[in-house]
Amino acid sequence: MKNQRDSNRLLVRHLLLPTIFLTVALMGGLRVAAETGAFLFIAPPLVALVLSVLLMLLFARGGLINLPAWFSGDHAPLTNVSHALTLLALFFASAQAFNSVLPESGLFRWMFAFFYLWTLWNNQFAAFEPRRLLRSLAALFGTAFVLKHMLLASLYAPDGGWLKRLAGALLEGFTQGTFGVQESYAPATGYISFFTLALYVLGLVLVPPAPDNGDAATAPERATGGLVAQFRQLSGEERALLRAEILRTERGLIEDEIHATQTD
Amino acid sequence: MQPKLIKSAGIVWTILYAAFVVWIYATAPRTFTEATTGASVVAGTYAIDEARFRAARELFGREQYAAARDEWVRADPAMRDARTQFYIAYAFYREGWGRVYNDDALFRQGLESIERAIRLSPEGALTVADPELKIRSAAELKAELQQGTESSIGDLNPLKVVRERK
Repeated sequence: MKNQRDSNRLLVRHLLLPTIFLTVALMGGLRVAAETGAFLFIAPPLVALVLSVLLMLLFARGGLINLPAWFSGDHAPLTNVSHALTLLALFFASAQAFNSVLPESGLFRWMFAFFYLWTLWNNQFAAFEPRRLLRSLAALFGTAFVLKHMLLASLYAPDGGWLKRLAGALLEGFTQGTFGVQESYAPATGYISFFTLALYVLGLVLVPPAPDNGDAATAPERATGGLVAQFRQLSGEERALLRAEILRTERGLIEDEIHATQTD
Repeated sequence: MQPKLIKSAGIVWTILYAAFVVWIYATAPRTFTEATTGASVVAGTYAIDEARFRAARELFGREQYAAARDEWVRADPAMRDARTQFYIAYAFYREGWGRVYNDDALFRQGLESIERAIRLSPEGALTVADPELKIRSAAELKAELQQGTESSIGDLNPLKVVRERK
């Protein structure tokens, strides 16, 4: 049973995770042309790579990825290579996830990029733990998706979406009621982006902060590593409660020992 | 399952899948058909549609050059067959040739096709064994197309009208 669990964990880490992240990297830049229905593959822009670097730093700082546990001289070379490939796939998946929610051109593109940069830069200095970081990222990508694929798509819809009419009415007298030119894609683009982002967040949920490696660690070491990883996933309040409970238990044991010594 | 086997399989799979993603972005296929054609080229299983090729050759024989080109393009969607590219170039030449002046736009497209054919043929030498063609080598057709696009004093020669189309 335990062997089966170990095998499944290894399959998830060495096969499923790279597959998920590479699929995100593939689909993140995919758009469908509105008129012809042709595929358009858009490589990640430079700003998406910068955002991805910031996000990787945030993963490391927030404890979503414990780098010393992912790369170590104690691991077998195969393990380190596999981990490096998985994290590389995560890097490109992150870049493509941003690419998926960045407008293709115009002022909005720079506004969105600035918004992401600002958020990620601020988060570098915030106290995060993995679970909260995941929730924060899910909210970030969710908001970005709604802004780009629902609000902006409606604003630039060729047939004039509800937001376009509303904005036109509001801005009448200030501008000609338009926001410049933005490429419009087929609705399938929004669906592709939705599933890409969902897959990306699922991949992040599956990433173990400190992978236990079947090659070097002994069973007690792995159990301890697992406990430490679980501890890191707790919130600050939960950690304080756990520490107090451990201290109370340890103190009780010590008192029992002292009592037993005095009786002898 | 052995951990070593899982890790090795994971590494191989990740590298192959990453290569596929890079290839997709490099070739940017616009449809599933283009993607599968591209994949068959990479896998070395790509072959032109011979029936379409023959149909195009018949159209070419009936001087339906534009239709013939369309059929050849469908027969070789990946533009990987040197012989088909040669015929496309020849169709451009025939259609663009004029007794008084040539159609430069068609000749330029013909040049693109013949250069592609030369690139695709082994050692850059291509000869087509078709008795009905007056030009059978890619180099000769390229020279003819290049000559047609260049302006020279010879263009003013009135005897030019008696030259024949190849």
